[in-house]
Amino acid sequence: MTMGLNRRALGLQKRKKTGLWRSAWRARTGYLMVLPTLLFLLIFQYYPAISGLYRSLFNWSAGLPGRFVGLGNFVELFTTDRVFVRSLRNMGLMLIWYLFIWVVLSVLVAVLVHRLRRAEVQYTFRLFLILPVIIPGIVPILLWMFIYDPTIGPLNALLQGIGLESWTRAWLADPRTALYAVMLRNFPWIDGVSILIILAGLQAIPEEIIESARLDGAEGWRRLWYMELPLITGQIKLVSVLTVMWGVQEFAPIWAMTQGGPIDATQVPGMWMYSNAFRLGRMGYASAIGVVMFIITLVATVTNMRYIKTNPS
Amino acid sequence: MTQVPKNTARLPSMGQKQAGITRRRRTDWADVARILGLGLLCFLTVVPLILALIVSFKSPSQFSRAPFVPALPLRWENYAFAWSIVRQFMVNTLFVSAVTVFGVVILGSLAGYSFAVIEYPGRTFLFYAVLALMMVPASLTLVPSFVLVKELGLINTHWALILPWISGGQILAILILRAFFEGLPRELFDACRIDGASDWQIYWRIALPLTKPMLGVVAVLSILSTWNNLIWPALTITERRLYLLTPGLYLYMQTYYTSYGRVMAGLLLGSVPLLILFLFTSKLFVQGLTSGALKA
Repeated sequence: MTMGLNRRALGLQKRKKTGLWRSAWRARTGYLMVLPTLLFLLIFQYYPAISGLYRSLFNWSAGLPGRFVGLGNFVELFTTDRVFVRSLRNMGLMLIWYLFIWVVLSVLVAVLVHRLRRAEVQYTFRLFLILPVIIPGIVPILLWMFIYDPTIGPLNALLQGIGLESWTRAWLADPRTALYAVMLRNFPWIDGVSILIILAGLQAIPEEIIESARLDGAEGWRRLWYMELPLITGQIKLVSVLTVMWGVQEFAPIWAMTQGGPIDATQVPGMWMYSNAFRLGRMGYASAIGVVMFIITLVATVTNMRYIKTNPS
Repeated sequence: MTQVPKNTARLPSMGQKQAGITRRRRTDWADVARILGLGLLCFLTVVPLILALIVSFKSPSQFSRAPFVPALPLRWENYAFAWSIVRQFMVNTLFVSAVTVFGVVILGSLAGYSFAVIEYPGRTFLFYAVLALMMVPASLTLVPSFVLVKELGLINTHWALILPWISGGQILAILILRAFFEGLPRELFDACRIDGASDWQIYWRIALPLTKPMLGVVAVLSILSTWNNLIWPALTITERRLYLLTPGLYLYMQTYYTSYGRVMAGLLLGSVPLLILFLFTSKLFVQGLTSGALKA
């Protein structure tokens, strides 16, 4: 409000201020209801986030006093740390792959499901597609570790069985194949959640538009490319953003399958951060990696959203 | 809830352009191809599980003879062994996820209600402050959260899991529930207020029951994330009797790796609880997964 020289204006201002406090007091229930949430968030979300930013400026290990190094950790990350550079490259590769299977493949499968003639068949497939998502995520990871086992795993057994014994490998232990083994696990790579999201978008297309496209003779690929795709850019954008956000950070499969090895073949930033913090005791350095990942996620998400928006439909 | 498009199920395909003909005599090969293709994809997805099932009934000698061909007699003792170990993990996870879901639902609905229905200064600011946390990824908070939990003395207790998970679950829960509360008619609450009801009563008696389906969605999302988390429980809990299912299965496989039958039995047993949950709440699952992602 303006600072009035007029006494009346001053009086008005004063009344308004009391009004603010009074309305706050009257609505104290509102504040009370949010209080537990805010407490939880303050302690377990805000504090760690800010602490992470702060501690990245230090060299410290658990239990020992830290030494301020300013941006030293970041400098080291980008100049002398070869493992980090390697991890970024691996992460980029995996991101491209994940975008392919989570966006492109999901669109293809969703279109297939969408165009099924009979409703019961469609419903059944939707159920089957969501089923793998219900199983705890560790199970496919462990199953594929078993599949990749060099001596008793089904993959090598299959290759031997069809006479391709020379193709057998120690998939997760061989630096040449480890990264691809981790990336290509879960064949045939379809993901129920993204398929359902895209399917929801397809099913929201009004029937008149489908009708008119059909009457125009557009079928199959042409209908997909010119009509359906532009109408589901919202869903595609959503799935892309989610994939990027997830793909930049996630390292649980790596942690379980290879721990970043062999010889950093499967190293990703998240895993490197973990190793630095809990194996090498370099918590400040690990925090710096966390900050870099935060920035990457932010930038990637924002560019992703921008890109899809301006992409001509 | 998404609707099944009726027109694609009844209108003729490109073969017959004549209007008015709705019954088909020729087989729709395109549709057959679709069904076969999708069926193949689904089958391939299930193959590892089928292999696991076959192996889970084998003794080591049966396995070395012909690993992936079903053999009799079925060795049920693999499952007995697996159960004796995995049971503890499941109980732990049930407890942790139940408490977490309870916390997320109560706190999230309270905050969502407050943000949507009650008016007070700073309301929008606080909401955006909560929203801003969505941008903070787990990678930034992993190390500091561990240090925090350690300083609070919560390592090797289930609270090291429950408390951060309740906090994390708040953000999405508030997003979903606030949107829902805002969709409720304002007159409803005004009428209650005129009748002299306090905000607490309105929340408890009126608003909360109305949001049951949405609470179900939030609960499902919360359950899925507690059951699937690997790194955090593995980091904060080292005592085996407190282990959760996901890190527990990992530990189980590492420990008994050479007893393949037992390992597979354990993995399959570990998949059962969520499948049972899914059977009872499949609609909520679908809604939860898609709407949770949509709201995010």
